[in-house]
Amino acid sequence: MPQPAERKNFPKEMLQYRSRFPILSHIHKPPVPARGGRKNTRGGVKSMELAALEWKVGGQQGEGIDSTGEVLARTLFRYGYYVTTYRQFESRIKGGHTDFKVRATPAPTHFHGDKVDILVGFDDETLPVHRPELKPGAVVILEGDGIKVTEEDGYTLAVFPLKAIATELGNPLAKNMIALGITGGLISLPREAFYHFIEEQFKRKGADVIASNKRAVDRGYELAQEHLAHKVKTLPPRDIDPNRLYLSGNEAIAFGAYMAGLTFLSAYPITPASEIMEWLAAKLPKRGGAVMQVEDEIAGITFAIGASFAGARAMTTSSGPGIALKTEAIALAGESETPVVVVDVQRAGPSTGMPTRHEQGDLNHLLHAAHGDFPRIVLYPSSVEDAFYLAAEALNLAEIYQTVVFLVSDLGLGMNKQTTPRFDPRRVEIRRGKIVSEEEARALGEFFFKRYRITEDGISPRPLPGNPYAVALTSSNEHREDGHIDETIEARNAQMEKRMRKLRGLRIRNPFYVDHPDAATLLVAVGSARGPVEEAAAALREEGYDVGTLFLQQLAPLPVEELRTLLVGRHVITVEHNYTGQLLGWLRRHLPIHEHSTTITQYDGRPFFAERIVREAKERIADEHRAERAHA
Amino acid sequence: MSIAPSAPTLKDYRGDVNTWCPGCGHFGVLAALQRALVNLKISPHEVITVSGIGCSSKVPEYMRSYGFHSLHGRALPVAQGAKMGAKDLHVIVTGGDGDGYGIGGNHFLHAVRRNMDVTYIVMDNGLYSLTKGQTSPTSPLGFVTRTTVYGNKERPLDALSVAIAAGGTFVAQGFSSDVKRLTEILERAIQHRGFALVNVLSPCVTYNKVLTYDYYKEHLVTVEEPFPTREEAIRFVKEHRGLVHGILFVDPETPDYQTALGYELRTREIDEGPMDEALLRELEEEFR
Ligand SMILES: Cc1ncc(C[n+]2csc(CCOP(=O)(O)OP(=O)(O)O)c2C)c(N)n1
Repeated sequence: MPQPAERKNFPKEMLQYRSRFPILSHIHKPPVPARGGRKNTRGGVKSMELAALEWKVGGQQGEGIDSTGEVLARTLFRYGYYVTTYRQFESRIKGGHTDFKVRATPAPTHFHGDKVDILVGFDDETLPVHRPELKPGAVVILEGDGIKVTEEDGYTLAVFPLKAIATELGNPLAKNMIALGITGGLISLPREAFYHFIEEQFKRKGADVIASNKRAVDRGYELAQEHLAHKVKTLPPRDIDPNRLYLSGNEAIAFGAYMAGLTFLSAYPITPASEIMEWLAAKLPKRGGAVMQVEDEIAGITFAIGASFAGARAMTTSSGPGIALKTEAIALAGESETPVVVVDVQRAGPSTGMPTRHEQGDLNHLLHAAHGDFPRIVLYPSSVEDAFYLAAEALNLAEIYQTVVFLVSDLGLGMNKQTTPRFDPRRVEIRRGKIVSEEEARALGEFFFKRYRITEDGISPRPLPGNPYAVALTSSNEHREDGHIDETIEARNAQMEKRMRKLRGLRIRNPFYVDHPDAATLLVAVGSARGPVEEAAAALREEGYDVGTLFLQQLAPLPVEELRTLLVGRHVITVEHNYTGQLLGWLRRHLPIHEHSTTITQYDGRPFFAERIVREAKERIADEHRAERAHA
Repeated sequence: MSIAPSAPTLKDYRGDVNTWCPGCGHFGVLAALQRALVNLKISPHEVITVSGIGCSSKVPEYMRSYGFHSLHGRALPVAQGAKMGAKDLHVIVTGGDGDGYGIGGNHFLHAVRRNMDVTYIVMDNGLYSLTKGQTSPTSPLGFVTRTTVYGNKERPLDALSVAIAAGGTFVAQGFSSDVKRLTEILERAIQHRGFALVNVLSPCVTYNKVLTYDYYKEHLVTVEEPFPTREEAIRFVKEHRGLVHGILFVDPETPDYQTALGYELRTREIDEGPMDEALLRELEEEFR
């Protein structure tokens, strides 16, 4: 058993950053039947209780795969479970395999899971593609000719002519509903749960459509009873906690920004970021704000900079290729000291790479993007919950520090939904920083207001245009205090040093989350890698490995001093979605962790499996011990 | 709209020390713009001037107003954003032909189409001057510069016709040595509710030996009244190879972008302090 190299004392003041998160390692094991199973009164058949459910549906794009998954996910959410989801899709509208994973657990998690209890397939690809994920005893429901139930190697294969049955029921589109009915039957879910959704979903389509969809669900339950009775289990209802929400990272960013007083968003559509703009397009006009879909990404950021200069709270959203186009204007925000929030929901690159696949390959770009030296803030939420708070915080920081704030997300976090605690409005106060009032400006009596006043904290009070006593020039060129071009050594150095002073000591509320901080090995990750890493660490600990986790949310300025205490001298493994280990590179640049650090990377566009992290982490830990013995 | 203590004078609009070459056409444009604003009784704090990069883009440096000297080619999006942020202020964009029709060509086309209430003054010298005299999108065919040593092979962009055809609601051309007429054009452009393009023929005395003051004085044809239709306006511009002077076309009917939005913009009214809890709970319903 690996021994921790040297225990560090964990400083008390850092406990505030500790994750309060319960870990779901028990769910990795095959579900344990509740003492001897339980009598299923409805079917009269003995049925086992499921601790949790992992379900996946696959099919061709345009077949309603997403909506099928979404209905089940919402149903389970309202049934009291914590639900996490993952959508895989291709960059086309119709055709091509797509799948939707739903995991329902009794405790919170950030991970949609490795395995599948029930797999529903409407196309030929579903089974071969997802076969390796099946748990022993899983049920696979496939569309096909005739009804056939067979026991395969480790799973039950049930073929039903779903389309034909749906047509018989008078609504060929309802085949998805039959599949949901079969699922409901297999886990003894009360039918009313689905009825509720059907009524909600098809309200506008009328009573006939509602009735035919309900019939389809009923038919599914019957099929499960008739053909799969031996596989029926029970997913027990759970207490419904009213303090929970179910939403995606994109929705959380949009919502958080809205609540923090965002009034202007300009952007150009791109997967997987468009949803942020779309959500806000419906909401902002109601309070006098605006969303503009402009001609390109350069306009996206420069419109936002112009609006911000004039007094709006402004943001632009994009993904890698669009962020690349924005880089010149990012430097403009830096030199002109104009607040702007730039959201990057990363997808797989380089270039247009894999537009609908997941990656964390933009970190190097965001940490360095644009020419010249200027201060920037880079935040990366590691959960849907934090996406809300960091979006709000990003808008504050942009205005307080008058610079660009990158809010980094990724496809995995952005496009997938999770059960999340309700938001606490007291956690982020809306603050606009140093805006000069008319009285203050009048007292100064400057004909050319000193927009770029040299200050101790590096932040110059900012007038909003229209203030009669603070007429000022904002500039992309190096300037004097009054904003006019000046390239003398004195002006240049004074302004450069003033700008670079402004982020000294900046700490967001949760710059990182750490769990088991004094463990011998720390797994470090950002964004949606948190889910699988968290569960992998829990599984490793159960096997006796001394492993902790750290999820970094403030990447720039990096909270070096706190991280030094935590990481230096310890075995660090970053777990990241890119080829070169960009996160590890950034940490190594700031901290002397070269000898005892390594990375587990994945760049295939798919999310991590916790199992793989467990396997690789064991190898890295063994390597580290070999190296230490060799040194000794 | 004026909250200035007294009526503005030319002195209020005096900016930083000017570094344009003596005789530069841009002087006339700056003078006409300052005069137009004074004539309209608009104070410096009610004006946002936005520019890109170039000799012509120095206007925010050389006049006093809320200015934003931004990036090469990006003045229009910055300016439109500023208008979205401060709808009650006059937003005036100044720049060169390279800035506006070259690197910023895409933004130009969309700004015309969007019809936001900003005034766009292009100081057209047929050259990239600040970078020392390369060919621009409005340089004549066959023009010899450092980058077209064997003569320019690309035909000049007819920005006036493009703007009229693309739905421009105010399109005019001025001449920088006729400050009086240019002042009148700019007054009307600033008062126009919508996107107003004023292309100003503004000779570069250092690098352009073809499009000179004398050349324009000899060839310019005056337009007394805007044409009633787009077709007639374009035909006239084409017939005179763009050597026209005056307001070519005005469409006062099409609403500007912010009017078309149909609601009152309040993009800078942002309450500090805690989040609105009632609103938060209301919006959360969507996710329950
Ligand atoms: C992205 C970028 N490319 C190139 C430049 C260099 N540059 C500065 S001014 C200019 C041309 C200006 O020409 P024009 O817009 O016609 O204005 P003029 O100087 O003729 O008044 C160029 C190419 C720049 N500043 N930024």
